Amino acid sequence: MTPPGGPPGSPFSVILCDDNVLLLETLSEVVQAQPDLEVVGTARSGEQALRLAEQHRPDLVVLDIRFPGGGPTLARDIGRCSPASRIVAFSAYDDKGSVEQMTSAGVLEYVLKGASNRELLTALRRVAGAR
Amino acid sequence: MTPEPQPHKPARKQAAPLSETAFTLLVQGVLDYGIFMLDPQGYIISWNAGAERIKGYRATDILGQHFSVFYPPEDQSSGKPQWELETAVAEGRLEDEGWRVRQDGSRFWANVVITALWDEKGVLQGFGKVTRDMSERRAAQQALSERRRLFDHLVQAQETERRRIAWDVHDDSIQAMVAVGMRLELMAERVPEAHSAELRRLDTTVREAIARLRSLTFRLHPPGIDRHGLVEGLSSHLDDVVRSSWGMAYSFEHRMDREPTPETAITIFRIVQEALLNVNKHARASRVDVRVTSADGGLLTRVADDGTGEPRTEDGTREHFGVIEMRERAETAGGWWSMHSRPGTGTTVEFWVPNPLPVAASVVEAP
Repeated sequence: MTPPGGPPGSPFSVILCDDNVLLLETLSEVVQAQPDLEVVGTARSGEQALRLAEQHRPDLVVLDIRFPGGGPTLARDIGRCSPASRIVAFSAYDDKGSVEQMTSAGVLEYVLKGASNRELLTALRRVAGAR
Repeated sequence: MTPEPQPHKPARKQAAPLSETAFTLLVQGVLDYGIFMLDPQGYIISWNAGAERIKGYRATDILGQHFSVFYPPEDQSSGKPQWELETAVAEGRLEDEGWRVRQDGSRFWANVVITALWDEKGVLQGFGKVTRDMSERRAAQQALSERRRLFDHLVQAQETERRRIAWDVHDDSIQAMVAVGMRLELMAERVPEAHSAELRRLDTTVREAIARLRSLTFRLHPPGIDRHGLVEGLSSHLDDVVRSSWGMAYSFEHRMDREPTPETAITIFRIVQEALLNVNKHARASRVDVRVTSADGGLLTRVADDGTGEPRTEDGTREHFGVIEMRERAETAGGWWSMHSRPGTGTTVEFWVPNPLPVAASVVEAP
């Protein structure tokens, strides 16, 4: 088990959770291409995501709202098992209800699918920087 | 002697008391009601034309028979005829609605009043029985509730289908396009400038399409309506779409006796949604006022804008569909729909739908 946040100057560790394989691969490629971010795991199910979160205690978790097991529930569970991890929602839903659900589950940023890569990466860095 | 006609009041003929013969003629001639008498034991001692019409027996066939022949076998064996007479004796009268049997064995739905008749010494002389055939009214009521059931089913089926399509678009089409967009952007950063411009253009196109798909799924299945009811659903629609997306001012007023059934709520929501879409597309309005109020046992809804109020073009097929859909929704629900616009004063869409009580809990609804 690694403590949250590596030594100064090391990249932020990221876990990506999305049940869509194509999207997960692309997301992984986009994040991995950033020198200051490092993908330490990808998850397609709630179980997988929790196991990875417990194992890696990542700096960042990117989580889809309509995730197997429920995005908001998983966000709470991750918050419990890895309290220092910052969670960013990456969702295709932009209605107020969905945003509120995720925010009240402890999600710090809500990025809409369809936003540019740059917007997503900016949100990740903003959240990680607030550490 | 003829009384002098009064100038303002219509003249009234001096009526002689009705003779017994005239009264008998009256009772016997009535066709809409079966009116007849039973002796204290329940045997039929008089008959009229209405009774013959309703029950099929001629006077000669039925006089002297016990009135229990009008009851279906299950009522006869449970002693209902006798119980009804005893109740009429104890309480003066008895009213009942239920199945009765005609001479040919067919059944009809009857409203029956049995009145105990006493002489001046307090001795029971028999019973007066008045029977009405309510079959048609019952059939009409059943047709109405069947129509209601079908309407509920139709609305729910439509919503389920829309929800399914919305989810499919969300979970499949949008996700795939998001992945494509992200990859295009990633590639644009990796290739020489000459190619990256083209990739960025493609990326923009994909992302615009995603936005359009998202607003389509929102229209197909607005979140909130089935979770939080009509007021909440309309409020968040007005807030999210009218104010935030279209930048239009709105007011929303609601005074409802009670929360409508889910099906009625969906009907109102869908019509308002379509009316608002029309306002945004055609009215060139700066504000829209929405009001839902209880009226005439239903809900009256008004969507009024401050736009140009110009007559709508006849060639616009899409908007024509919108109008047809709104009207059909209201009429299928058993209500009405109207739209009036006058140049310079905006357009008002107004519709009324009944607000029935929820279908009785005894009716098992499919999930």
